[in-house]
Amino acid sequence: MIRMQNVKIVLMIGWRNVFRNKRRSLIVASSIVVGLVVMMFSMAIMNGFNRQMLENTINTSLGHVAIHKKGFFNDMKLSLSFMPKDLCNAIKNIQGVACIGQRVKFEAMVQSSRSSQGVLVMGIEPEEEKCVSNIFEYAGSDIHSYITDSSNNDILISRSLATKLGIGIGDKCVVMLQDKDGVLAAHAFIVKGLYQSPIESFDKYVVYTGIRKAQEISGLGNAISEIIVRCRDKDFADSVASTINSLDTADLEVLTWKQMAPNIVQAIKLFDTMMYVFLAIIFISIIFTIANTMIMAIMERYREIGIMKSIGTQPSWIAAIVILEACGLGVLGIVAGIVITYLLVAITATTGINFAFYSESMRVWGTGTTIYPFLTATNSIVATVIVLLNTIVASLYPAYKAAKIKPIDALHFI
Amino acid sequence: MEIIQVVNCTKDYHSDGQIVHALRGVHLSLHKGEFAAIAGPSGSGKTTLLNCIGGLDYSTQGNVYIEGTDISKLSPKELSRLRLFKIGFIFQAYNLIPVLTALENVEYILLLQGMGDSNRKRKAAEVLELVGLKDEMHRLPHELSGGQQQRVAIARAIVSSPAIVLADEPTANVDQKTGSALLDLMEHLNKEKQITFLFSTHDPMVMKRAHRLINIIDGMIVKDTLVKRKNK
Ligand SMILES: Nc1ncnc2c1ncn2[C@@H]1O[C@H](COP(=O)(O)OP(=O)(O)O)[C@@H](O)[C@H]1O
Ligand SMILES: [Mg+2]
Repeated sequence: MIRMQNVKIVLMIGWRNVFRNKRRSLIVASSIVVGLVVMMFSMAIMNGFNRQMLENTINTSLGHVAIHKKGFFNDMKLSLSFMPKDLCNAIKNIQGVACIGQRVKFEAMVQSSRSSQGVLVMGIEPEEEKCVSNIFEYAGSDIHSYITDSSNNDILISRSLATKLGIGIGDKCVVMLQDKDGVLAAHAFIVKGLYQSPIESFDKYVVYTGIRKAQEISGLGNAISEIIVRCRDKDFADSVASTINSLDTADLEVLTWKQMAPNIVQAIKLFDTMMYVFLAIIFISIIFTIANTMIMAIMERYREIGIMKSIGTQPSWIAAIVILEACGLGVLGIVAGIVITYLLVAITATTGINFAFYSESMRVWGTGTTIYPFLTATNSIVATVIVLLNTIVASLYPAYKAAKIKPIDALHFI
Repeated sequence: MEIIQVVNCTKDYHSDGQIVHALRGVHLSLHKGEFAAIAGPSGSGKTTLLNCIGGLDYSTQGNVYIEGTDISKLSPKELSRLRLFKIGFIFQAYNLIPVLTALENVEYILLLQGMGDSNRKRKAAEVLELVGLKDEMHRLPHELSGGQQQRVAIARAIVSSPAIVLADEPTANVDQKTGSALLDLMEHLNKEKQITFLFSTHDPMVMKRAHRLINIIDGMIVKDTLVKRKNK
């Protein structure tokens, strides 16, 4: 039977004990604060990293949901194209869909007088693409260096490709491809603009032109390679995809970003696991700090605990007082730690953290060099629970020790 | 009936491979309302005897009865309950829980006994007033003088009306005048409230104040005298 008034007195003694040796408590609370800040801030950076990696992949090309002819996703053959007919309008009307864009995609060779490069040509609807992907922003958000007329022979290439080919804006290049009927043909294009996406492999490989021009040179006519759907939120992708599936899409394949980028989903899972292992290591050291301190505190209060037991205090009360004192330290550490973390995250979320010194790897991961950390409510709850559990675990042995103190030994102690 | 009966008690300590005979066959009876002192030089076994009577330690041989219960047969848990309900303790010094105020320290015993909120506060306050600390109730132990701290300890020892109050050299850590005042207080409580006191001392001034003087030397009671006192 637990009485409220007993809980109250045990809590009160435990809490007041926190403030007896202020210096010692400060050291313990600070170690909790440092651990918590490191833990939560790493979580926040990891969150930013994961989100940017995912968002960038979605924003450069994937979109949230993509509709292809069956088999196209694995093998981009021109023959695997389809007529959109009224599918586009039907998709636009689905709840949660923000916008859609049609694309024609085929592999080709770009040549300049200096060099040549195998590429993927993306024929886009210039206006729609602005909503579906970030290519307009990557090209400098300038209408003069973006594709405006989708039947012109304008081409957008990445800066790195431009360097490799030795050409710039206004220069000519040649795109060579095998059209739908297998005829090899070369077409002249003029570089309208240069872009840079956060994903290195993407820049090496992708060039943009207008969808009409792409249809014309590939011989697709009015057929397209894919419809890209942008949802109001990436979490709507599953429900939107299943609604699209229920439309007339017999020989089409509807894929969500999760299905199109399984490696990223895997990577995020892996990073999260690594994160928790890392945190476990931090907190094992904190457990020892707390346990140590509590043992010290008990040694100091040996006589006092003996007196409490002499006059009839049960061992369980003594243990509870020790555990609650540790929890008090934990709570102080957590409050301070969360305040500091949120300040840090609030500041870095606006300025971003520049990992330029690490930029090569960052480009491989496609996160961009500046990471914008953020925290979720779940992060804070998980962190708080982890710290509290650690504190309790750390105080168990000291609490047991304290509960076992014999009054008779303690009375001789002075 | 006797409140306390000690029958042929011995206590041996083993330290560094040597046996110390701290008590060598002690016989003692105490009646309700007594105001008795165990007197003897340092190391004579006063603390050991009080600890055995108070159920803080087991005697090696012999029996200790508290209100007829043989406490040498009780488990540590039962002993703890017996201490809580039957015995009030006053130690030499540092008696109090440092983080609790005087009032809370006194209330603490009643809390342990399971008394409800309103009665507890009132009763603790009454007892503190009785020991003359009406205005110091809300102070923490370190904000009180040594004598005041001992008064709080006395208040705590008597608040639950135990069968007996055991005090191990209660005046050893305060000056003569304060010690004398503490004895006045205990004597007053003994007379007015019929509280039974058994305290130890090696101070002649304190011995003079006892109504019964039990002399102990080398773990044996050598003299046990009732002192007739004319007036207070
Ligand atoms: N825990 C112990 N271990 C060993 N010897 C002890 C212990 N406690 C007391 N003694 C010995 O027992 C004898 C009586 O001690 P004690 O009861 O403390 O005497 P007093 O209180 O009269 O000064 C002393 O010789 C003391 O050294
Ligand atoms: Mg002693």
